[in-house]
Amino acid sequence: MQPTFKPLPAAHPAQSATNPNGPALKSRTFHCMGTVISLALPAGAAPQDTGRVLDGAAAAVERVFAGLDEMFSLYRPDSEASRLARGEVTLRDASAAFRARFADATGWRLLTDGFFTPERPDGVLDLSGIIKGYAIDQAATALQAAGVEDWCLNAGGDVLVSGSPAPGTGSPWLAGVVDPLDRAALLSGFPLGAAGRFAALATSGTAERGDHIWRAGVGRTEFRRSEFRQASVAAADIVTADVLATAIVAGGRPMLNWATDSWDVEVLAVLGSGELLATPGFRA
Amino acid sequence: MRIRAAVSAALASAGILLAGWQSGAHVADTGSAAAAASTATSSGASGISGGAPGSSGGSPGAATTATGTFAGSAVQTRFGTVQVQITVNAGAITDVTALQLTDDDRKSVQISNRAAPLLRDEVIKAQSAQVQTISGATVTSDAYLSSLQGALDAANL
Repeated sequence: MQPTFKPLPAAHPAQSATNPNGPALKSRTFHCMGTVISLALPAGAAPQDTGRVLDGAAAAVERVFAGLDEMFSLYRPDSEASRLARGEVTLRDASAAFRARFADATGWRLLTDGFFTPERPDGVLDLSGIIKGYAIDQAATALQAAGVEDWCLNAGGDVLVSGSPAPGTGSPWLAGVVDPLDRAALLSGFPLGAAGRFAALATSGTAERGDHIWRAGVGRTEFRRSEFRQASVAAADIVTADVLATAIVAGGRPMLNWATDSWDVEVLAVLGSGELLATPGFRA
Repeated sequence: MRIRAAVSAALASAGILLAGWQSGAHVADTGSAAAAASTATSSGASGISGGAPGSSGGSPGAATTATGTFAGSAVQTRFGTVQVQITVNAGAITDVTALQLTDDDRKSVQISNRAAPLLRDEVIKAQSAQVQTISGATVTSDAYLSSLQGALDAANL
């Protein structure tokens, strides 16, 4: 497999000169799972070394993502997920890795009272809701194994970090949360990594226009307007953050309260009207 | 006038403190905070309320409505052990005190982590020039190019 982490063209020349005083970072991006994955490392004292480390780290991350996409993507007709969807194989015949992710997803369905579900309303098993988070988690393991300590991995808006953007300073990574009413602006910021409790931040939203989302649950699959336009969840791990963000958008306030009562998380939710609901951790 | 008002207020406060002290001592004596305290505190309670049960009709039926202090069972929560005690006067809860509300964990003071309405000015603010990464609803590969994360990555090549 050829690594394809080529730099993408800058669409915002005016904004490219951001962060003049912030910590200097180097990043690599690649396309996978229908979105763009970005890995950023502190630029460090020796830029050449950083570049080499970053290329190797990005290649390792891309291998993890590509491998999982090959198995779980419903957009690839030859994937295990697609063969299962077409009924050519059953779960009994599925690989151990596939069944393990299916078990994860059904476990989360129980924990979220059905608001997170691995089944599409048409009955097709779709594990993509859990696979991106799992891929980020596995990529983190690969980065740790490679001895990279300070990094920020962003997969289409879901973030996991390790260490600090300025190694030695103990300063956290600062993640911005997109304002769903104006996607060119930030609604809030949230510190991740360093000595804090949270390394992961995931955001889920209704469709770009914001009108409909599958509001599914055990025995209540239906198509209706969601109460929340967007939900961001900070957690210690990315799978928890990602699954709960999805469940909160699907389940509305009852799921939001269940999440904050039951997990060590911070949540920032944007209602359909644009008003905010937030746990104390998001308060300035 | 003002002095008289202050003196009578002070006296009333002292009376309330004394009554509270008495009922507290009774609770301590009986050891159990529940039923046994009920009769003991009723005298103190009438002292506090200044004969309120009597003024509400003075019927003997008032004796059947609950009066006293009652301790709930200790409940294990995610934030540690929580136990509360309520003080009931003639069927109405007049006070709630926490008997156990702490744990070694620093989260013990934060009993509720529920999300509450917040103004946009009240959340942690961040400008795109200050952040290192952007969280948002999943962007497609196409939308990425015009996204804030796309701009950040472009700046860090």
